[in-house]
Amino acid sequence: MKMRTWSPVAAMAALVATLTWLGGVSPAVAQSGPTCKDGAIKVGAVSTITGPADFSEVPKAAKAVFDQANAKGGINGCKIDYTIEDDKADPQAATQAARDLVDNKGVAVLTGSASLLDCAVNAGFYARQGVLSIQGLGVDPACYNSPSVSPVNVGPYVLSTAVLYYASTSLKLDKLCAFFIIIGGTQEAYKQAIVNWEKLSGKKIHLLDLTMPIQGDYTPFILKARDAGCQGVLFNHIEPGVVQLVKTAEAQQIKGIDWLFLAPAYTEQVAKALSGTTQPVYAGTEWEPFTDVKSPANKDWRAALTAAGQPLTAFTQGGYESATILIQVLKGINGPVTRASVTKALHDMKPITNSLVGTPYYFGPGKTHDSSRATKIVKLVNGKWNVQTPNWVILPQPKG
Amino acid sequence: MLTSALAGLAAGGTYALLGVCAVFTYRMVAVVNFTGAAIGAAGTFAMVLLNEQGVPLPAAVAMGIAFGALISALIGAVMARWFAGASAQTKAAVTVAILVGMIALGLRITGGQHPHRLPELFPGAAFSLAGVVITIAATVSILLAVAFTTGATLFLRHTRAGLQLRALSEHPMAAELTGIRTRLLTVLVWLVSGAASSLALMIVAPQRAPNFLSLSELIVPAFAAALLGFLRNFWLTVAGGIALGILEGVASNLVSLNQYRAGVPFLIILAILLWAQRGARWDEIR
Repeated sequence: MKMRTWSPVAAMAALVATLTWLGGVSPAVAQSGPTCKDGAIKVGAVSTITGPADFSEVPKAAKAVFDQANAKGGINGCKIDYTIEDDKADPQAATQAARDLVDNKGVAVLTGSASLLDCAVNAGFYARQGVLSIQGLGVDPACYNSPSVSPVNVGPYVLSTAVLYYASTSLKLDKLCAFFIIIGGTQEAYKQAIVNWEKLSGKKIHLLDLTMPIQGDYTPFILKARDAGCQGVLFNHIEPGVVQLVKTAEAQQIKGIDWLFLAPAYTEQVAKALSGTTQPVYAGTEWEPFTDVKSPANKDWRAALTAAGQPLTAFTQGGYESATILIQVLKGINGPVTRASVTKALHDMKPITNSLVGTPYYFGPGKTHDSSRATKIVKLVNGKWNVQTPNWVILPQPKG
Repeated sequence: MLTSALAGLAAGGTYALLGVCAVFTYRMVAVVNFTGAAIGAAGTFAMVLLNEQGVPLPAAVAMGIAFGALISALIGAVMARWFAGASAQTKAAVTVAILVGMIALGLRITGGQHPHRLPELFPGAAFSLAGVVITIAATVSILLAVAFTTGATLFLRHTRAGLQLRALSEHPMAAELTGIRTRLLTVLVWLVSGAASSLALMIVAPQRAPNFLSLSELIVPAFAAALLGFLRNFWLTVAGGIALGILEGVASNLVSLNQYRAGVPFLIILAILLWAQRGARWDEIR
């Protein structure tokens, strides 16, 4: 008797339960993964390509990564539509480039930008428009203290602190000096970098010179360092200046000073140009040293860029890392990929580790971003760059 | 103080040598040639690129000098063909335009900011003085400036061709009418000037930033030196160039002045121009 009345009720209950269960599951299945309008996710980059500097390698490397992802079907079927704009190191052009990407093309996020002034000129605009930038190469100080920008590279300011830190702890040098070329609004950032080192090491900078000219004869400065008794000198010069400084030191027959440089010195061309030198030349890298062909950490980057026919330089490591991180963040989005959802994803993200760097990349909701704080030191030995630190030199955050 | 003064001696030799080339060009063909250092840079990089391809250094140097001379003659031909009758300002402006083009092209061809290995023509130290090593290259550049000055002065004063050149520079039209081969002489002046600039830069480039732009910008202190010679007097130019280098060296040690160090050539140019105009009445200047 009970069976007879139970069956239809039970059947009904079972049906309702099943439908509810299915109803509960299917929206979750439908929401899993990113979706996009017109099958494309729009991404942009503002870079200095023509003018006093050429950073085109960075966004081009990002493009290579995106092209390879698109060739494999994109992200959940969404292809990345990547636009590279040239700001010509001109604020006017940079402003227009940003507006073209953000307002005209409606990009959801910026990735792989490498510019002398994109952050200084556009970071405020990006913040107002609610779009974020995973900077492929941060150069000016604004890249490291804007809410809308988080660079993948260490940057010259943290790197200055890190290289001095290596010199005082590993090279055990006491009298460290620094000679900087100051352009634009970088003076405060460099001074703060020195102060941060002093706090970490407990030492005081022996000589700080912020007046080096971009052009000119460097003999008086080299002699100034020698006569002040510097044991190690840090410079922030780019390639031609690096070569000129070391050659000047050679001509003046300087002995007993370690010459410390930042990431721009770390190129094959500098190694070749200085191949005969007996001066001790060190450089701080922003990524896993690219000249180390055996390093397993570089494997994926090498494979990707060789397949795309792009040069294997430190700049391309940054472009590669920024694109790889974006793809990972996009994959974690559930639902339509829009500017708002990408911004939210970057704010909510967990730090992402990448074999190319020593500290995990992080955006987050903070007002400033300098998540990349690790370097490896290379030294010029017999015309080749030699990795001095098999483990990352990680800079702790300064206290107070 | 002596150390910092002597530290600028190498730079001074460079400015003196390039300044003499600038004065030579101006006196002979009445053109303020802003491309002087860029021509030298072109010759230097030709030498560097040939040497990188395996050409032995002496041959590469000869070919580099020839290349610089050729580029210079080309520019001279442009000036002579289309701007012979133009005013001095126009001719100067044209050389500036050519310079901008040369720098853009030169940077592209030579790899922009990426440095090349510049072979040193005169490596090593000559002597030490007050804690400063004076390199052989610096000494050679000063000696070359003196030699070029002496040679040019003797040539202009005591040879037939020199006489014709002086006639050409004073009165080009009259010179042509008396049968002097003005075209040939003009081309020769540009060739010699280009060769001299190329040699000058080959000697000094290893101690400067080894890229096309930085080397081309040496024209600014070169002209400051030339102006110290009032664009006429070779010996004052040589002295002026060396003095300029020494002044830069001294200024780099005076912390208060150091930031303005790069402005020293401009201040000198300004001072000289103002002093040269001191006799002019204000109405005329307006």
